[in-house]
Amino acid sequence: MLGSTLTDARIQTGFSLAFHIVFAVFGVGLPWLLIVTEGRWLKTGDAVWLALTRKWARVMAVLFAIGAVSGTVLSFEFGLLWPAFMARYGGVLGLPFTLEAFAFFAEAIFIGLYLYGWKRLSPRAHWLTLWPIAISGTLSTLFIVTANAWMNVPTGIKEVNGKVVSAEPLAPLTGPGALPESLHMLLAAIMCTGGVVAAVYAVGMLRGRRDAYHRRGFRVGLVTVLAAAPVQLVVGDLAARVVEKYQPAKLAAMEALPHTRDHAPLTLGGIYDPDTGKTRFGIELPDGLSLLTGFRTDKTIRGLDILPAKEQPATPVVHLAFDTMVGAGMAILALAALLAVVALWRRRKGVRPLIPLAKPWLIAGALTGPAAMAAMLAGWEVTEAGRQPWIVYGRMTVREAATTSGGIAWSLVATVLVYLGLAAALVLILRRLATGAPPSSAAGSDGPPPQDPDEDGATEPRHTERPELEGAAR
Amino acid sequence: MTAVNLLLAVIICALAAYALLAGADFGAGVWDLLARGRRADRERRLIAHALGPVWEANHVWLIFVIVATFSGFPTAFGLIARGLELPLAFALAGIVLRGAAYVYRAYGEGAAGPDTLWSRVFAVASSVTPFMLGVSGAALATGKVTADSGPLAPFDSAFTIVSGVFAVIVTAFLAAVYLCHDAGTDADTEDLVPVFRRKALAAATLAGLVSLALLPLLYQDAPTVAHRFTERSIPFVVLAAACGFGSIAVIWKRRYVLARATAATAVIAVLLGWAAAQYPDLAVGAATARDSAAGAANLHALLIAMAFGMTVILPAFFLLLKVFSGPEAKPE
Ligand code: HDD
Ligand code: HEM
Ligand code: HEM
Repeated sequence: MLGSTLTDARIQTGFSLAFHIVFAVFGVGLPWLLIVTEGRWLKTGDAVWLALTRKWARVMAVLFAIGAVSGTVLSFEFGLLWPAFMARYGGVLGLPFTLEAFAFFAEAIFIGLYLYGWKRLSPRAHWLTLWPIAISGTLSTLFIVTANAWMNVPTGIKEVNGKVVSAEPLAPLTGPGALPESLHMLLAAIMCTGGVVAAVYAVGMLRGRRDAYHRRGFRVGLVTVLAAAPVQLVVGDLAARVVEKYQPAKLAAMEALPHTRDHAPLTLGGIYDPDTGKTRFGIELPDGLSLLTGFRTDKTIRGLDILPAKEQPATPVVHLAFDTMVGAGMAILALAALLAVVALWRRRKGVRPLIPLAKPWLIAGALTGPAAMAAMLAGWEVTEAGRQPWIVYGRMTVREAATTSGGIAWSLVATVLVYLGLAAALVLILRRLATGAPPSSAAGSDGPPPQDPDEDGATEPRHTERPELEGAAR
Repeated sequence: MTAVNLLLAVIICALAAYALLAGADFGAGVWDLLARGRRADRERRLIAHALGPVWEANHVWLIFVIVATFSGFPTAFGLIARGLELPLAFALAGIVLRGAAYVYRAYGEGAAGPDTLWSRVFAVASSVTPFMLGVSGAALATGKVTADSGPLAPFDSAFTIVSGVFAVIVTAFLAAVYLCHDAGTDADTEDLVPVFRRKALAAATLAGLVSLALLPLLYQDAPTVAHRFTERSIPFVVLAAACGFGSIAVIWKRRYVLARATAATAVIAVLLGWAAAQYPDLAVGAATARDSAAGAANLHALLIAMAFGMTVILPAFFLLLKVFSGPEAKPE
């Protein structure tokens, strides 16, 4: 109906993975932020910290549930859309997926305790339930991405006639791509969470709500995304070195390098034309790529021509996606550097707050959210499209892996419609949560809209008022 | 016991946990759908409240079953996924819509449409999912799910359809039994106890009748499994019947904690009866456990990881159930 069964299966996989990941990143990042905000509240009794905690807990509840159901779709889809892949390599990937399942258990159990336990647990025990959520969310990211890293660099298996005869159980966890790729994703999740949180409060302040609640929410989010940016650059560089070594065609596609050569240039941006091997509108830095990968100008880099044309990845997409990711990462990094300088300067001068809140700064801060999200999705496009035509690099093509069932077009249409509907409803709900008044310590979640905790008057200790806010368990 | 059998046992235990925990969550959705009259809103609230803290954790048992199956029996998983694509796709849609509708109703404050809309979606999706899963399980016994069977094959016999209905009734039965107890823990909801007691008795009776209808269909549509059923499963049938009647008796006597135990045992007995008769086939005539198993080293790694994981997860699970049971279980 739409394309071939293979095309439909690819679109459905990409679409549902992207949908899942956009929400799942908050399940990874928000618990860490909550540890900070609820911890600060426990220490200071400051109602603003509690208001932030309560708001983010509600957001986490919704996003977690959407992450959970869309993740369930993925685990079925691997079988429904790629049965031959699962049949051949399901056993090899068993360990990371099983460990992943246990991480989900821990997450779901403690998130139940956290969200519904305000009344039943002591404040300290309640805060402590965040730790297993945060740790298992982090572990689940690491485990799942090692599975993907193994698909990129499949090591530790022996196959005879297309049948796995022996597989090292630990191979996915110890492969060369596992550590850089999974750390890179973890940092991406943290950056996306921080950036989106910063964006929500920056927009609120741009609309004139410059109270302590918005300032502090902005600060927590912004510091998170900016602090992770430099680390992300280093880890991303490590990931690129693994790609260069084990997936040369992917690197060539990322860098739009048609021919194997030394003194390879670095091409920034532009549209690659597969027919001519030229990149239009790109900026070419002579010797750049050789320098970056080998630290010398005469290093030879393998180009797309190591493969016949029909086995090459979709270079225009991969190159553009890669430069989107790196561009966004660099832009966030630049903001981080600039703000670090400004903050140091303001500290020397005794100006408060350290992070300037003038309009341009708020706009820049607001943009870190979309930028991090775009980088994250673009990064996945690089990883997945850059691996084509393979599903397991060098071992099985997506064509071999795909289902032969005739009904996939229907399932694609249904998936897209259901997900778009759910996403639209979710956006409405999140908008209500984002623009709704902060939950103040005195009002329950079902109570009347409370006023903003005003300015810094909110620093007075509120521990004594705890009984009142207990009605607002959720 | 070989690694293959051990893994099968783990999968069956996880299925039992899913049936008892998430099954009751689905069944609660069935009662949400059927709630009528002036108390309907309060029934729905009790249901929503009972699900709140636990449904996500309960749901992970299914993910565990899926992951264990594709890790341990990859070739069978490929085949089963293809053969059962239609019922599984519907079950999946049900799972997605139920979860989303539940949180949208709980947290949406009406921002994305009225609560009654999401309530409907939640209830309908909760009823469709166990039906589809019941059909899927039964279809594996019929021998009609093969490498090249069509998408409608799972629905192609009375046995699978009636099994789906049976699954819905059983989940509703479990939910009603659990809710009798939940309603009784709070003065505000105590008047709902008789409502759910009536529902539990009705569902138990219906489940008994449908299972009587199911037996001849089993012999008609799934002869291989039926043959093994006669050989191996009679003790489980006896246990299930005893606990089924026992449940009716103790619910009648208003002993709701005991009723939970008898109801759970009855469900487990049915599941074990099926599992014993299914063994060693995963999909009858198309895949056996041994032929489709992953390599021995991988199975061992899986089992070690599972043993380790369960020692961490099971205590946490009991903590969750413990914190949210008990007399202060009050809807906020
Ligand atoms: C906030 C998100 C974000 C940011 C700022 C960056 N990345 Fe990234 N990148 C991802 C988010 C991401 C990702 C979505 O998380 C990917 C996809 C697969 C993966 O493990 O991470 C990814 C993949 C990915 C890959 C492909 C790995 C593979 O296919 O094996 C490379 C080479 C890089 N990244 C390199 C970089 C570099 C040099 C960056 C410089 C700043 C960078 N990334 C910033
Ligand atoms: C263990 C983890 C993963 C597995 C097994 C997996 C598997 C696959 C498969 C089989 C495809 C279809 C092949 C194709 O591109 O034609 C695909 C495509 C895709 N996946 Fe992944 N994936 C994984 C992780 C992810 C994640 C977490 C994302 C994040 C969003 C992602 C994003 C995509 C995208 C965007 C495509 C479409 C690419 C294209 O076809 O151009 N993948 N993946
Ligand atoms: C790198 C990419 C991924 C990340 C970071 C990720 C992260 C998460 C997180 C944090 C959750 C918990 C729910 C939430 O917090 O929203 C979740 C749920 C889930 N994910 Fe993903 N996931 C990724 C890719 C995948 C893939 C490729 C699969 C396919 C098997 C998958 C399967 C699941 C399942 C089954 C759940 C439901 C678990 C539950 O009930 O808690 N995820 N994922």
